[in-house]
Amino acid sequence: MKIITRRSFIKTGATAVAGTIAASTFLPKGWSAFARKDASGYFEQEFGISDELCRKVLSAALSKGGDFADLFFEHTISNSLILEDGKVNRAACEVALGVGIRTVKGDQVGYGFTQELSEEAMLAAASTAATIASASGKKPASKFVPPKTENYYPVTTLLSSVPLESKLPLVRAVNEKCFSLSPQVRKVMVNFYDQERRLLVVTSDGIKAEDLQPRSYLSSTVVAEKDGRWERSGWNYGGRRDFSYYTPALVQELAQKAVDRTLVLFEAIQPPAGEMPVVLGPGVTGVLLHEAIGHGMEADFNRKKISTYCTMLGKKVAEPFVTIIDDGTVPYLTGSINFDDEGTPAQKTILVDKGILTSYLHDRISAHSYGVKSTGSGRRQSYQHYPIPRMRNTYMLGGEASPEDVIKAAGNGIYVQDVANGQVKIGEGDFAFYVSQGRLIQNGKLGAPIKDVNIMGNGPKMLANIIMVAKDFEFAQGGGGSCGKGGQAVPVGFGQPTCLVKSLTVGGVRG
Amino acid sequence: MKKELYDLADRAIKIAKAAGADDCRVSINGERFVEISYRERQPEGIKEATSRGLQVEIFVNKRYSLQATSDLRPQALKSFIEKAVASTRLLEEDPLRTLPDPKYYQGRKTLDLKQYDPDYKKLTPESRHSFVRAIEESCLAKGGDKVISVSASGYDSYSEQVLMASDGFDGYVEYTAFYGAAEMTAKDEGDRRPAEYNVAIAMIRKDLPRPEEIGAEAASRTLSLLGAKKIKTETLPIIIENRVASQVAGGLLQAMSGRSIQQKQSFLADKKGQKVGSEKLTLIDDPFIPGGLGSRTFDGQGIAAKKMVMIEAGVLREFYVDWYYGRKLGWEPTTGSPSNLVIPAGKRSVKEIMKDLGRGIFVTGFIGGNSNSTTGDFSIGIIGQFFEKGEIVHPVSEMNIADNHLKFWPRLVEAANDPYPYSQMRFPSLVFSDVVVSGL
Repeated sequence: MKIITRRSFIKTGATAVAGTIAASTFLPKGWSAFARKDASGYFEQEFGISDELCRKVLSAALSKGGDFADLFFEHTISNSLILEDGKVNRAACEVALGVGIRTVKGDQVGYGFTQELSEEAMLAAASTAATIASASGKKPASKFVPPKTENYYPVTTLLSSVPLESKLPLVRAVNEKCFSLSPQVRKVMVNFYDQERRLLVVTSDGIKAEDLQPRSYLSSTVVAEKDGRWERSGWNYGGRRDFSYYTPALVQELAQKAVDRTLVLFEAIQPPAGEMPVVLGPGVTGVLLHEAIGHGMEADFNRKKISTYCTMLGKKVAEPFVTIIDDGTVPYLTGSINFDDEGTPAQKTILVDKGILTSYLHDRISAHSYGVKSTGSGRRQSYQHYPIPRMRNTYMLGGEASPEDVIKAAGNGIYVQDVANGQVKIGEGDFAFYVSQGRLIQNGKLGAPIKDVNIMGNGPKMLANIIMVAKDFEFAQGGGGSCGKGGQAVPVGFGQPTCLVKSLTVGGVRG
Repeated sequence: MKKELYDLADRAIKIAKAAGADDCRVSINGERFVEISYRERQPEGIKEATSRGLQVEIFVNKRYSLQATSDLRPQALKSFIEKAVASTRLLEEDPLRTLPDPKYYQGRKTLDLKQYDPDYKKLTPESRHSFVRAIEESCLAKGGDKVISVSASGYDSYSEQVLMASDGFDGYVEYTAFYGAAEMTAKDEGDRRPAEYNVAIAMIRKDLPRPEEIGAEAASRTLSLLGAKKIKTETLPIIIENRVASQVAGGLLQAMSGRSIQQKQSFLADKKGQKVGSEKLTLIDDPFIPGGLGSRTFDGQGIAAKKMVMIEAGVLREFYVDWYYGRKLGWEPTTGSPSNLVIPAGKRSVKEIMKDLGRGIFVTGFIGGNSNSTTGDFSIGIIGQFFEKGEIVHPVSEMNIADNHLKFWPRLVEAANDPYPYSQMRFPSLVFSDVVVSGL
């Protein structure tokens, strides 16, 4: 059962999720046909979804009127290969097949879905969706045309076409490497996850968009013991990648990071509590942007006047050296999409342009209500959900300063290296993000490591408090970033240069 | 539909066995749901569907895998399972992965857990819409001129589940679920638009509060957040409201699982029989509460459910040990996951306790935060009310608490008299002393 609330949350990591995410590694033989890289025609060939059938179902969805209707076909296969206690002894595979049918009238949505792709089942779901409207019927477009877009994840070797025998050595290598790096390593868990999401969007106004979205990551969780104390950490690499990404060099780097990050925790303390300057290191700390501004810029919240940002468009919200972007077009990044789940081509949307709030993130419904074009931000977890405005990859552009100068300027405060998760209250703009690892900053220099601390702030206040941005911009290269909103999880990415926020509340342990 | 699900489970087992599996366990879930939301006195979304999912665990040649699919076309399912069995053979051996010893299936209770509401069938589109409209109206009325936006929603579902294993185990559950919810956003100073929600979930519809109460409470909870501010970092007593107490307890539960313990990711691993909390901390896992959201007679592995005292007056008594991690640890399995959790209620109301404490924070929500199951450290943002001289003074925002579970639970000084019924965790409000609350 899903509970609807507007709170949104995010998780960045793939390290601790193996218990809950199904994954696996083998595909039925029929799937080898999947190695074909061209996405078009898949649903017609495999399931007999013809234009004529789509037109029939769309007609049923518009049988009581409505502005438009769309069909979202999905066939997703997710695999995990898991190593625990030295053995690759667990695999998981999940197949999701279905179609969601939506009828839209103004900002009202009727939605039905079915896992059976038969005409009868689809017509029944369409008649459910149609109930949102109550006028006379409309006809869908007579012709469906694919949208023009680039391919932001041109993969050559889909993971599904890679035999298990080729994946096993990679997983074992991560394990062996981790143990070889320190005698304090006691447990290692490795998860090699891959997903292929095939989708077809057909709209009553004549769009037909078909895509194959690959996604994968290799993650390692390490538990170490020192003088009777135990610590755990980990790392993951991934994105919309194919098998060629997972080289022996990457395995080395993954193991090194996972072990280093665990061992440093033996020296780490929980920092003091209270307001203080906070420096965000490069990369995954972009989670802060995701919470502090990204969600508040999703247009559904603004259309309903429930976002703290709903009256700020065109206004100065940050210093001129702050530019924040949400972008579906970054090659191979986890949040990249060729087009969104409504068939709108992917875009790069500037949220804050040199300090000025410039654009919300729109899906079709909000774009219509604002009289603008969709920003290609209409996304959904699966065919069981209707799309809503969502982020893709959210990041801040780099500035002029050196990272050292930024740390120096902080004086005394904390330095954030890794963020595990975050959350925001859209209306207040209050957000939190959980720092799994960082350092104290003392007299302008990095000091003792810190761990396990939640940091709180307020979005608009935080933006105004960004006082220095360094030139070391980085995208986070993890493949496990996932954002939850209204009960729907979608993959997202982050990027961030080192930057200084004048003041945030650090949830430490001492007054 | 029961027979259909049994036939499907039976077929899946036959396919797996024919493909060479030594054993397998199949779980099938069928669900029909309707979800309606309203905003500005109009339906905002109407969603309705019937869905099914099949999960099969395969044991072959001492190897194990877990497969799930929603593609139940007979040929597709056959091919899916056959290929899964073949691929499972390629994994590494793990002799501890087997179906449970059947003796753990024994003693399954036959009792009516009151999880199916016969009145479910009487629901009509009209009754569903009027339920949600009543929630919306009451929230709008109570919110008055402070309302910026109100969303109300209602949900009902009918589900069936079959669990069947190749060693002869089978179990069937049929249940209904209902919820009513509202969320309100209010006008405040500057650009702040505080929002809060209220949701009630139950398996029997009449166990829900009246829709008018659901909506009105969402509004009062939102209005209570107007004018929030931070106070100085201070060590204070806190009262964690019943409905959110489960979030902090989650950090304990994570560390109580057999997997966490075996994988050396539990700060409780060596604490069995020891004090981990104050005398006031008793935690009972009770699978037999009528209408309980977590009630059951068997768990996901078929192990017969029993009532367990997990923590008794502060002393850790039991862990959640499933069959597999039990074998790895060399321990008796208990059950793989919590059912309903109960912390016995105390005698006084939150109001009386507040009077007694004088100054502190009544925590009504959390934001962000996490808990480290390996070390027990946690840090989490709080939303709530600052009280002084026993009276609420103003709401707080952008504040946080951080502690370690092994130091935190010993400071549980009281449980209030208000166990929360709309959750699998039926906790009363909990009072902790000397908590560092960080703010300014």
